[in-house]
Amino acid sequence: MGATFSPSIGGGFMGGVSLKSSAMTSKKADPQAQKMREFEEQAMPLMPMMLAIAKRIVANSEDAEDLVQETYIKAFKSWHQFQQGSNLKAWLITILRNTSKNGFEKANRDKTRGSIDELEEWQVGTAESLTSRITRSAEAEALDNLPAETVLKALDALPEDFREVLLQAVVVGLSYKEIATATGVNPITVGTRLSRAKEALRVTLADYAREEGYSVPEDKE
Amino acid sequence: MTEFDCQETKRHVHEFLQAELTEAEMDEITAHLANCDSCEADYDFETLFNDVIKRSCDEVPAQELSERILGKIRQTLAEGH
Repeated sequence: MGATFSPSIGGGFMGGVSLKSSAMTSKKADPQAQKMREFEEQAMPLMPMMLAIAKRIVANSEDAEDLVQETYIKAFKSWHQFQQGSNLKAWLITILRNTSKNGFEKANRDKTRGSIDELEEWQVGTAESLTSRITRSAEAEALDNLPAETVLKALDALPEDFREVLLQAVVVGLSYKEIATATGVNPITVGTRLSRAKEALRVTLADYAREEGYSVPEDKE
Repeated sequence: MTEFDCQETKRHVHEFLQAELTEAEMDEITAHLANCDSCEADYDFETLFNDVIKRSCDEVPAQELSERILGKIRQTLAEGH
């Protein structure tokens, strides 16, 4: 992770900072508002990813959401300790991990899915996750690590008829016949749309993954 | 019934994963996959892909959680933490 600084999880550490700034901020806008804006712009976009990580630590999604919420509140309280320009993702993961260790994990021990140490390995891509049986092609790995937000964005970019079939088949688990009835096309068309939708989504996601720095082959036919 | 060579096997991946084939066809494909790394890799990829899609859709509540977190923080600020 390379993050050596450790955020003070306890919070309540802003005395020095706010004293100093209030002395010279007679004309400046509220520093809290400024902090809030920074936090919203920088930390909030990473939230879906943190949620995905939290879901790998605790078994049920409600606990995962609570863990993320606690993490973000702590992160906000120690935001002044975050060094602008350093790795925010790593910083947030550190807080998430500490939050999870301090009580969260204990309280949910029986429901805990995997150890925090496993999480770290997963982060660097060495752990066997749900892809254990899978040939770890670069594409599969990239796909597995893309944040939900990115996948959802790609889904949104599909033509509606195709997205509808894809969601109904893959996410809802309806049969071709059921989808055909719901959408008023024949089951063969459902099959065609499903495979076209997945191909299109795959191409879009491979593009995104390349933008994220994964080396996914340009074309696989 | 269809002879499941590689081409046919690969062509039927979505039907297989959505359980749209007859039991006999599913068995044929399973037998082919056991002996064919290339087809198996394809099937594994599509299985993972489906999982990624499902998982991502489960995370739609992220939006709501985002609102909740920001609300909490604003509340903390208002109370002078």
